[in-house]
Amino acid sequence: MRIACLLGLAALMTAGVTTADEAAAQEVQPLAVGEMAPDFAMIGATRHGVLRDSVRLRDYRGKTVVLTFFFRARTRG
Amino acid sequence: MHAYRDQYASLFRGGRNVVLIAISTDTPEALASWARDDEFPFLLASDAGAEVGKKYGAFLQRGERLMNNRTAFVIDPEGRISFVAAPFREIDPTAYEELGEAINQVAPDVN
Repeated sequence: MRIACLLGLAALMTAGVTTADEAAAQEVQPLAVGEMAPDFAMIGATRHGVLRDSVRLRDYRGKTVVLTFFFRARTRG
Repeated sequence: MHAYRDQYASLFRGGRNVVLIAISTDTPEALASWARDDEFPFLLASDAGAEVGKKYGAFLQRGERLMNNRTAFVIDPEGRISFVAAPFREIDPTAYEELGEAINQVAPDVN
């Protein structure tokens, strides 16, 4: 049973996919310096309202991009 | 987020060749409303289900929900991660100094 679990976990890790519970067990690690930043597409917003076009990392190639993830709006930080 | 706003011109060169994107699992409407109320000059993005947080390893579990945690990344003009602050200590001034130095190391000069 334990070996099956370990093999399953190893398979998931190799596949680059991990569930949140497994991530918690591994202590979620952020991507490391040197890795390519994964592309994304999210709905954006500014002080002027919600943006019509998606925010994609690839649109900023050639610029320096700072991503600051945070927990919740209207809280400190 | 207020420190980002207040240091926006010096840290992020007013958004010219340095782009700041603040990301959380809040809805786009909630982010826009907050940005308007607190006059944020930068871009925010809604990470539904913390999918992007999962890709970046910047998430945590809250009961049944996944949310983003406080992590900052600097990505150079070639798309490579050049700096990571995990956690990003948003109430510590040195966190912004370190971030500023990391940005200056990779940001192309403005003409």
